[in-house]
Amino acid sequence: MNRFDEEMRKALRREEPSPDFTDRVMARVAESQRQEKPREKTDWLRRLVEFFQPPTMKWAMTGAMAIALVVAGFGVHYRLENERRRLAEIAEGEHAKEQVILAMRIASAKLNIAQKKVHETASHEGGPK
Amino acid sequence: MTSDTRTDRLIERKEVGMQRADDTLSRAKDGDQTAFAELVREHQAMVFSLAHYFSRDRATAEDLAQEVFIHLFQNLGAIESPAHLKFWLRRVTSHRCIDHARKHKLKTVSVDDAPEPVAPVNFRDSLMTEALRRIVATLPEKPRLVVTLRYQEDLDPTEIAEVLDMPLNTVKSHLRRSLVILREKVTRSLGGIKYESF
Repeated sequence: MNRFDEEMRKALRREEPSPDFTDRVMARVAESQRQEKPREKTDWLRRLVEFFQPPTMKWAMTGAMAIALVVAGFGVHYRLENERRRLAEIAEGEHAKEQVILAMRIASAKLNIAQKKVHETASHEGGPK
Repeated sequence: MTSDTRTDRLIERKEVGMQRADDTLSRAKDGDQTAFAELVREHQAMVFSLAHYFSRDRATAEDLAQEVFIHLFQNLGAIESPAHLKFWLRRVTSHRCIDHARKHKLKTVSVDDAPEPVAPVNFRDSLMTEALRRIVATLPEKPRLVVTLRYQEDLDPTEIAEVLDMPLNTVKSHLRRSLVILREKVTRSLGGIKYESF
């Protein structure tokens, strides 16, 4: 190492900043943390709000709501149709039951008549000749 | 005490120091602010001096150094070891200095225009220091940083190239040219007194 290098090292030796330098850095660190915390707390809320804010998102939301309405309409229609079919089936069953009962009544009446006629024929044949 | 024992003790002391630096860094990374303050105290002279010899203004240098440490606090997670911390601080400080100079267009006096005080021989040493500092401050941004890193931080050209993200040959050329200018100017500024070994 020559004399010039020595002089350069002496001229450019490290120097300390002001005595309160560390305290000032730490104060700024604390300040930056204070600013960071409330931001962290509301971060999820902000992101959620932002998610719905851009114009493209508004269009997407409108589309999604329209699809939801169509699906809900189809759902209601399907349910009402099912109910209508069920009631129609019940009514049809009742009607069939009534017809069966009526048929049985007719059959019973016919049988009574036939039985009467058989009795009358038997009493005529079994009487004085 | 034999020289072997002395060497062993020095090695032991160095190892203990490295262990402590490692420990301080991990505590700071875990959010311990006292440990971070220790890191600031340990490295503030290095960061401040780099900025000071670059800007030649204490207030600006302190602002730059503060910004570097705030940036360090926000990026502590990326620091891998005490050696990496030192490298990171030198690199960030150098880049901040260049950015600051570009933003504020620091006025650099041409080396030829630098005043050349004539001094009595008994004030020669202090004047020499002051003259060297003043002439270093007149160098263009990158050569100024190269010279400061070379003599303040005692880095070799390869290390300077890594810190400044610069080709090794560029660093060597900046260093060579700057030293020629510095030798010439300092000799002239001291009223023609020449150091034989310059």
